[in-house]
Amino acid sequence: MSGSHDHAGGGPVGDLTSRVHRLDPRAKIVGLVAVTLVGVSTPISAWEVWVACGLVLAAVAAAGRVPARVIWVRARVVLPLVIVVAAFIPFFRGGEVVASLGPLDVSREGLEVLGSVAAKATIGTVSAVLLGATTSVPAIIRGLETMRVPRLLTLIAAFMYRYLFVIAEELRRMRSALASRAYRPRTALQAAALGRMATALFLRTFSRGERIYLAMLARGYSGRMPRLDPLRLARADAVFVGLILLTLLPLRVIS
Amino acid sequence: MHIPDGFLDGSVAATMAVPAVAAVAYGVRRAGRTLDDSKVPLLGVTAAFIFAVQMLNFPVAGGTSGHLMGGALAAVLLGPWLACIVMAVVVAGQAFVFADGGITALGANIFNMGVVGALGVGLAMVLARRILPANRTVFLSVAGVGAWASVMLGALLASAQLGLSGTVPFATVLPAMLGVHALIGIGEAVITVAALSAVLATRPDLIDGAGFGPLSTAPLTPAAEVAS
Repeated sequence: MSGSHDHAGGGPVGDLTSRVHRLDPRAKIVGLVAVTLVGVSTPISAWEVWVACGLVLAAVAAAGRVPARVIWVRARVVLPLVIVVAAFIPFFRGGEVVASLGPLDVSREGLEVLGSVAAKATIGTVSAVLLGATTSVPAIIRGLETMRVPRLLTLIAAFMYRYLFVIAEELRRMRSALASRAYRPRTALQAAALGRMATALFLRTFSRGERIYLAMLARGYSGRMPRLDPLRLARADAVFVGLILLTLLPLRVIS
Repeated sequence: MHIPDGFLDGSVAATMAVPAVAAVAYGVRRAGRTLDDSKVPLLGVTAAFIFAVQMLNFPVAGGTSGHLMGGALAAVLLGPWLACIVMAVVVAGQAFVFADGGITALGANIFNMGVVGALGVGLAMVLARRILPANRTVFLSVAGVGAWASVMLGALLASAQLGLSGTVPFATVLPAMLGVHALIGIGEAVITVAALSAVLATRPDLIDGAGFGPLSTAPLTPAAEVAS
């Protein structure tokens, strides 16, 4: 479990008025998920397709003026996992041995697995990063909602995103309160204080949930979230998805 | 344990999506019948809560650290099916917003980190209530063991999926994964038990609300009677 969500967080970056940022969220979801699917389904023998996926992603990043540094910072979560796979390469038995490090043999098969995992993970992660960097989270949720994801799930996701940073900030304050009382656990058995802190946080969260609902009722909530600006697919959206599919699909089929 | 894109073989990823989608779909349908509107914001803030407590790192041997998964805690506080829904939203949010865990591995990740823990601990709670006396010790022990087991089971499933995909050699990875997660699981269990005993002491009605029956009428600590 190496997931650390402490890093900068999501949210759009780059030129917020760019053509990519202004696209319908559904077009970006379909387009970038398509890049991921093509990349992930491609075997190492057809590695040209990965290059094409990379070029498509680079073009999207350039059109949205998403800085390379942001992509690097947000995509590097995947790095430790690729390194873990690299650590297991020597254990792959069989196949042609291409190098020896002391008692361990590095096989061609092992290197191919590493290369393929690294390429696919990079394509998938960068696609997700670009979606997040060019689309606000509420827009992604609305896109998913109109793509028939159950309303309960999108509502929960919307509330989660709205209160995530509030609750994370509360948690940060509670942690500094613990730290200022010299709490510094050295083993997993000393984690109980974190559990009691989690409860304090949960009870606050729980009463916040009740207050939010009352506040929503006071504003006339009747079971539906009113929308002021309906999503509309424009020609640019069709061009975006069309260009991605026309670039990748023929290449994927012939390779 | 968030599996990224490309680590799973297509057929493994697709196979794992089936039970994940089935559990979440059943949970959503069930919630449609039994859940009233006022609980939706509550589920949303609980998802944010689980998302936030997954940032709680605690030390594991050798300078590495683990973090809470929260599936067992969610299962006891919300009941197994609502916990499935909330964990699915958390894991999907991590994939879409933080690029943590692949979109194509979403089914596997939801299953390993959410569905297994939520349904496993939920089932353990129901069974324990049938065959064991309903008191605080039993309740907390089942929750603690369930929390540990949910982490181990998640690690086992993730290793099996990665092994079947040919990404890592299963026989080598399994002992390493289970070894680390045995310790991470202890942290998960300690935090879950501490969290639940604090809930029992302050708001026992919340656990009753999750459908675990007569537990809140069982004798609690004196502190609880004062607090409630």
